[in-house]
Amino acid sequence: MAKSLLILVTKPPYGFEEAFAGLRAGLGMLASGQVPVSNALLVGEGTLNAVAAQKPEAIKMPSNIEAVTDIMDFEAKVYVVREDLQHLVGDVPLIEGVELIDWEKARQVIAEHDMVTTF
Amino acid sequence: MKNMVIQVRTGTMMNMDTNVTVKLAQAALDKGYGVRIFGYGEAVTLIKNGQDPKRFPNVGKETKEMLAKGLEIVVCETCCKARGIHRGEEIEGTKIGSLTNDLSRFVAEGERMVTIAR
Repeated sequence: MAKSLLILVTKPPYGFEEAFAGLRAGLGMLASGQVPVSNALLVGEGTLNAVAAQKPEAIKMPSNIEAVTDIMDFEAKVYVVREDLQHLVGDVPLIEGVELIDWEKARQVIAEHDMVTTF
Repeated sequence: MKNMVIQVRTGTMMNMDTNVTVKLAQAALDKGYGVRIFGYGEAVTLIKNGQDPKRFPNVGKETKEMLAKGLEIVVCETCCKARGIHRGEEIEGTKIGSLTNDLSRFVAEGERMVTIAR
């Protein structure tokens, strides 16, 4: 019986539905009260979901900033792999509250959860 | 009984993802596992009644046959509404449900989750 779920986000914001859908799935787990722990790990292009300078209103799409902050409001942790983010965009301001980690820690985070699902 | 959860996000006829989903579900059921499928995004088409592909496997028909063997299948209501699929259009025995009520239950009662998407 799984008590924790990790949402592994590999897709960037806005080009695909996946990242928004994944973060909403994590939120749904916490809102249900049936899954006590649901965290998110942003890897590869998924790390771009943590960038603070997103302007979804420019393309009239739902905000992935809100999707990230909403899940953190339910006490989820949102981890961002530093190497992947820096490879794509360097050092940029991130959404307040996300946690930058290296791949060694990311592997540990994956192992700590009962279930992992990828978006 | 141990339960396997399959989270699938690919629509029928897009590629072979839903074919793999039903074959995996069938294999797990044959080995005595409980199987729950949650269809998210385009995968809501998995439960659409009246699928009639020419020359390709009919995953709707295969899904219907597995319901009798204990398969539980739920798809996301919000995703259905976005695609114009409404209650009453689903294969009998499948459910248009939600992340909060159904996927969370599948996770809480499941041992393993397999994600099928691209």
